[in-house]
Amino acid sequence: MVSLTDTASYTRGRRRPLLRLGNFGLTLPALLLIIVFFVLPVLALLVRSVTEPVFGLGNYAELLGSATYLKIFFNTFVVSGVVTIVSLAIGFPVAWTLAIMPSRLASIVFAILLLSMWTNLLARTYAWMVLLQRTGLINKTLIALGLIDKPLPLVNNLTGVTIGMTYIMLPFIIIPLYGVIRKIDPAILQAAALCGATRWQALTRILIPLAAPGMISGALMVFVMSLGYFVTPALLGGTANMMLAELIAQFVQSLVNWGMGGAAALVLLVVTLTLYAIQLKLFGTAGAGGR
Amino acid sequence: MSKLFTIATIAALVGVGSQASAADMVFTSWGGTTQDVQKAAWADKFSSQEGVNIIQDGPTDYGKIKAMVEAGGVTWDVIDVEGDYAVQAGNNGLLEKLDFSVIDKTKLDPRFVTDYSVGSFYYSFVIGCNKDVVDACPKTWADLFDTAKFPGKRTFYKWSAPGVIEAALLADGVAPDKLYPLDLDRAFKKLDTIKSDIIWWSAGAQSQQLLASAEAPFGSFWNGRLTALAESGVTVETSWEQNITAADVLVVPKGAKNKDTAMKFIAFATSPEAQAEMAKGTGYAPTNVDSSKLMDPELAKTLPDQQTASQINADMSYWAEHRDEIGERWYAWQAK
Repeated sequence: MVSLTDTASYTRGRRRPLLRLGNFGLTLPALLLIIVFFVLPVLALLVRSVTEPVFGLGNYAELLGSATYLKIFFNTFVVSGVVTIVSLAIGFPVAWTLAIMPSRLASIVFAILLLSMWTNLLARTYAWMVLLQRTGLINKTLIALGLIDKPLPLVNNLTGVTIGMTYIMLPFIIIPLYGVIRKIDPAILQAAALCGATRWQALTRILIPLAAPGMISGALMVFVMSLGYFVTPALLGGTANMMLAELIAQFVQSLVNWGMGGAAALVLLVVTLTLYAIQLKLFGTAGAGGR
Repeated sequence: MSKLFTIATIAALVGVGSQASAADMVFTSWGGTTQDVQKAAWADKFSSQEGVNIIQDGPTDYGKIKAMVEAGGVTWDVIDVEGDYAVQAGNNGLLEKLDFSVIDKTKLDPRFVTDYSVGSFYYSFVIGCNKDVVDACPKTWADLFDTAKFPGKRTFYKWSAPGVIEAALLADGVAPDKLYPLDLDRAFKKLDTIKSDIIWWSAGAQSQQLLASAEAPFGSFWNGRLTALAESGVTVETSWEQNITAADVLVVPKGAKNKDTAMKFIAFATSPEAQAEMAKGTGYAPTNVDSSKLMDPELAKTLPDQQTASQINADMSYWAEHRDEIGERWYAWQAK
């Protein structure tokens, strides 16, 4: 085992000359990767969006001037927002339970969580389709229990999308939340109780503020991922609540209209980066979990 | 040990890589059962006969075709595409002209032959119904649009392609010979009347799932999917009344690396024997007029080419010309 100080002095001794070349030099390989795999494709998209079919901002004007496309933008935000809120509402108690569980049990629950995350996305989405349809398990059970007479419309609409997407997004909110909650000293809650705080006060004035960094980074991740989500909304949703990713796929694959597809993709990218910038500015965390 | 493993892995990867580059041709189609049959009936036989290595790829993606041709890096040699797309792509310079000195077109159904494409197989949009769950099945497009007589959800093809707009117009009483040019206003008005009762299917397997589970007890389907579903034990009723036909076609993208092999492959795939095999496996009709002689008459009777009396040809050149504007209107209407 090398002690911490040993490593530090070793690093210092070896790295100093390199550092004199400037930190910039060291970041060059990473920068190059970003340029080749991110900046160039986005630039290509930008060029297409203002040159196809004709030069100008026509695509953007059409995209932002049409009631139908605006509705798709609106749907995208509403669905992403609803999924984020529901994921938080379910994810928080789960993360909390995980954090206070005996660690062996928690690792089993984690394994289940990760396994479900790694199962093929399409298979999971189709599974929901089968569960949620009129003659599916959920409706059949509810009817057999006498709770409803007619099958509930659970799929091919917003309900289906919300259920399917929330299920898929949950791990992305539970994991950062778990990291934050586990670091909260349970003694703080005891102290709060001793000082006369009710359970509600302990939750809203101590637990939630302390867990806020994890909630924010988890929520942002889920929201941003939802904005660009394709498979689940396409399969579990109806056409009336189409999301942006599906519109982009239609433009590119079906209509072969890359100008419009590129414009829509860029609008989505700008929104995503803006959200990210706001979070950085307000909370100073880049979604890496709490500190 | 781990070093050994690494070396073995690299060797394996290199092996796979060289195998792929030794491919003599890449065939791309839509996946699923149709491509399985295309592989068995065409590619495998052609491979063993000609000693040519064929790699299967997919699904077909029009955006990708355009990207490949424009970037000059075409990795597909023969692609199964929709008929109207082929006409449009040919006009836009994305396809190679077919070599009809290699491909014998004299026996091919002329409805599905252009300079750039020949029919791969042909299908009909028909009315399908799950008889296990309803008392009466819709027989005509007018029935399928009649929610009073046939209450419940109905399923239609989601993408903008020949089929649904024609069905709406026929349901509204337009005569088959007066379909084109398509009266889009009238079609969308008719579609509006059942919009809230439509569940869209985007892939063949999904249409089968919707019908079998009775999520939508009836709707408009590719005939071959109904045949397959009936074989799996679901009581399916198919109505051929005014069945609307369109074909998939085979094309060669511009700049295909193995153009000559591609032409030979297409010649093989459209031969009477290969087309008969394809029809046997899929329930879709052969595009070679000599194929039906090679098939079991009972089976041949179930195919769209035997339903020509009540058949309506989707007009591919009309669709090719108006593909973009219909598409944009279609998706906008769906999302409304």
